[in-house]
Amino acid sequence: MSLWKTKTFAHGVHPPEAKEDTRGMPIRQFPFAPVLVIPLAIQVGRPSRPTVSEGQEVIRGQRIADPDGFLSIAMHAPASGIVRRIGLAPSISGRMTEAIFIEPFAGSTQEGVLGDACDLEQATPEAIVEAIRSAGIVGLGGAGFPTHAKLRIPEGKSVDTVMINGAECEPYLTADHRVMLEQADDIVRGIRYLLKASGGREAVVAVEANKPDAAAAIRAVLPPELPIRVEVLKVKYPQGAEKMLIESLLGREVPSRGLPLDVGVLCFNAASTAEVGRLLSQGGGLLDRVVTVGGPAVKRKGNYRVPLGTPLRFLLEQVETSDDLATVFLGGPMMGQAVSSLDIPIGKGTTGVIALTGEETARLGGRPEAPCIRCGYCLDACPIFLNPSHLESLAAAGQHQTMAESHHLMDCFECGCCTYVCPSHIPLVQHFRVAKAAVRKAAAT
Amino acid sequence: MQALRDILDRVHPLFVKGGILEKAYPMYEALDTFLYTPGETTKRVTHVRDGIDLKRMMSMVVLSLIPVTLFGMWNAGYQANNAITKMAAAGQDYSLDWHHTIHSAFGFGHDPTSFLDNFVYGAIHFLPIYIVCMFVGGHIELVFSVLRGHEINEGFLVTGLLFPLTLPASIPLWQVAIGIAFGVIVAKEVFGGTGRNFLNVALTARAFLYFAYAEQISGNQVWTAVDGFSGATALGQMAVAEGGAVASLSSIQYPWGDGSMSLLSAFVGTIQGSIGETSALLCIVGAAILIATGIGSWKIMAGVVGGTVVTTLLMNAFDFGTNPMMAVPFYWHLCIGGLAFGLVFMATDPVSASMTETGKWIYGGLIGFMTILIRVVNPAFPEGIMLAILFGNVFAPLIDYFVIEANIKRRAARYAAT
Repeated sequence: MSLWKTKTFAHGVHPPEAKEDTRGMPIRQFPFAPVLVIPLAIQVGRPSRPTVSEGQEVIRGQRIADPDGFLSIAMHAPASGIVRRIGLAPSISGRMTEAIFIEPFAGSTQEGVLGDACDLEQATPEAIVEAIRSAGIVGLGGAGFPTHAKLRIPEGKSVDTVMINGAECEPYLTADHRVMLEQADDIVRGIRYLLKASGGREAVVAVEANKPDAAAAIRAVLPPELPIRVEVLKVKYPQGAEKMLIESLLGREVPSRGLPLDVGVLCFNAASTAEVGRLLSQGGGLLDRVVTVGGPAVKRKGNYRVPLGTPLRFLLEQVETSDDLATVFLGGPMMGQAVSSLDIPIGKGTTGVIALTGEETARLGGRPEAPCIRCGYCLDACPIFLNPSHLESLAAAGQHQTMAESHHLMDCFECGCCTYVCPSHIPLVQHFRVAKAAVRKAAAT
Repeated sequence: MQALRDILDRVHPLFVKGGILEKAYPMYEALDTFLYTPGETTKRVTHVRDGIDLKRMMSMVVLSLIPVTLFGMWNAGYQANNAITKMAAAGQDYSLDWHHTIHSAFGFGHDPTSFLDNFVYGAIHFLPIYIVCMFVGGHIELVFSVLRGHEINEGFLVTGLLFPLTLPASIPLWQVAIGIAFGVIVAKEVFGGTGRNFLNVALTARAFLYFAYAEQISGNQVWTAVDGFSGATALGQMAVAEGGAVASLSSIQYPWGDGSMSLLSAFVGTIQGSIGETSALLCIVGAAILIATGIGSWKIMAGVVGGTVVTTLLMNAFDFGTNPMMAVPFYWHLCIGGLAFGLVFMATDPVSASMTETGKWIYGGLIGFMTILIRVVNPAFPEGIMLAILFGNVFAPLIDYFVIEANIKRRAARYAAT
């Protein structure tokens, strides 16, 4: 497919890709940290219930927490070792959350236990959904929404298309790219599980045009009789946002405040799909994930399969960082959160760890704020056609309810395009996050 | 430079909160950021930013104005020197002022065929206007930013250049000072400063002079910087021309050369007028810079051109010979007067223009329509672009509002259909 015919959506931005450093780096296994921290809570739902106690020995792959409630998932020990403590640990949100601290045995071979495999041909859709939940799989693209919960399709809704999101539009990140190259078989197997579980008629794998090798790798292993196709998309941010992906590929618009399911689509991240394929066919739980470790301050950049719970401090020590390390953020630079503490562990939603030097931090984002001149660049950038400039003037006046009621604040998915283009360097998306939180809080009380 | 940096660092404590010069912090800050790029950092999302920023945008606008400015200086001198030569040859009375004294003190003459004579004489007229404008306007900005405790913005660099370019070279300097003071205070600062003005600042300043001191900014006496010389601009002549319109076009008097103005000279800009407005050609160069860098909206520019062309064609179709202006073709309209300058540099001012994409077309079209309407059917105002843009500015928020309402209605209809 030629470049100028690639499918895309309206608006959006073109940040520098910054993927050259790591896109050619094969996935390598990361060593075990002296202590692994497994938070019991994921982004949504109730925290899982621990099934181990302090001082207990666990084997790699053993279940250490059970799901508790609809959105909750199972957790597994990423390493054989001893449960040192169950207590509070820092998290990316800034709050302390309950976590299980596991100290891996130093001399262990780290051979794990595998659970029961889920046979693709014989399993019912319900059995597949339950197996995904038992494997502890969540959206590995960053959102961390539990995969099984997406597959529990409410009455009256149906799925015609399963979309596999391999866009990876954030700068720096190449983890999904490597997974698609190296685990194409797993992805295809995962798609078959997901098609069966969701009742979808066809599946589309969406890959941005800057990863032609990944698209080719998946095409090479696609069985021709299956209703699966690979589509190449224009390189543009935020191509990988699911609503944008659906617009680009299917020309359908997800309604305001709605879900992809409203237009008959389910989206799954490519890495999540690969884990579904790998874990369900062999049994066992999610113990590690592929993380892009990059940014100018990292000396040994690359894509690593990092055990869940590895503290950032250990990870950065292993890859070595330059002395003037200033900013570390999890995820890509557009939506990723800067960390306040290096004791935060790698979680299931951590797509990348990017470290910037002081100089880079200043060059990339450190410019003083000026008044809005109504240039309208943010209107041209916003992929969901909001008016960030107007929202900003309302935010400055503290009119959060008006923002939500008359200006669709809650449709903002915080992609950061407006902030990226703003010539006055107004931290628009930051203010919208604050406003959204205030609106949610007001709605809850 | 290090010594200067040391001095700035040493006096910094005086200006921060609690220091004795706390109120003057904006001044310190302006000097500091002018000399050195600030070193503050942010740790907030988004961690990457586009290369564009306000300073760069403003510098690009100034850069795009340089061709018309340089040409404007040359042309002001060219017009004056032609008038001097012609009047001297005819033995008419004319008087020269202090500009001439400075000019001749540097040993330059008044030969209209000499590039330097023209350029220097024009520069002697333009630069004092520019300096007065920057000095007065800049200090008003400074006072307001000190009072408000915010930073001085680069926006005034643009306003301070645009305003002098819209004035005739013969404008008294005290009027420049009053005009820019009115513009900055009434059009901008009372509404909250940079980004809050709903009218274009430079045009508001000019409109004030136009209505307050009409004698020095309209009529036949002011367009060439020679006291005693009388010559109407092309628009002025068209407005009063009698008989058939085509006859009036070919009979537009061109003070120099063979006596009649060609379309080419109107396009290149070797005609009388405000300092910066005469050359449509160099306005196109400026437009190219603004469009290529994404700073000026091509939609607004195209909207104005479209509005002009459509309105003019309508006028031509309804020409019954009663008003010679009705028959003027659109290409003449685009080349004479301030239309080209206004549509490229004034209508595209983002602060006072429409923001929505559809709105930009409507806003531009409205300005084009109003310009021609004022030019053709209002005999009191030979030139319409200034008032048309101010008119468009007032309507811009309303246009945006209706565009958004229409979007919402269409969307609602789409959902109702599915």
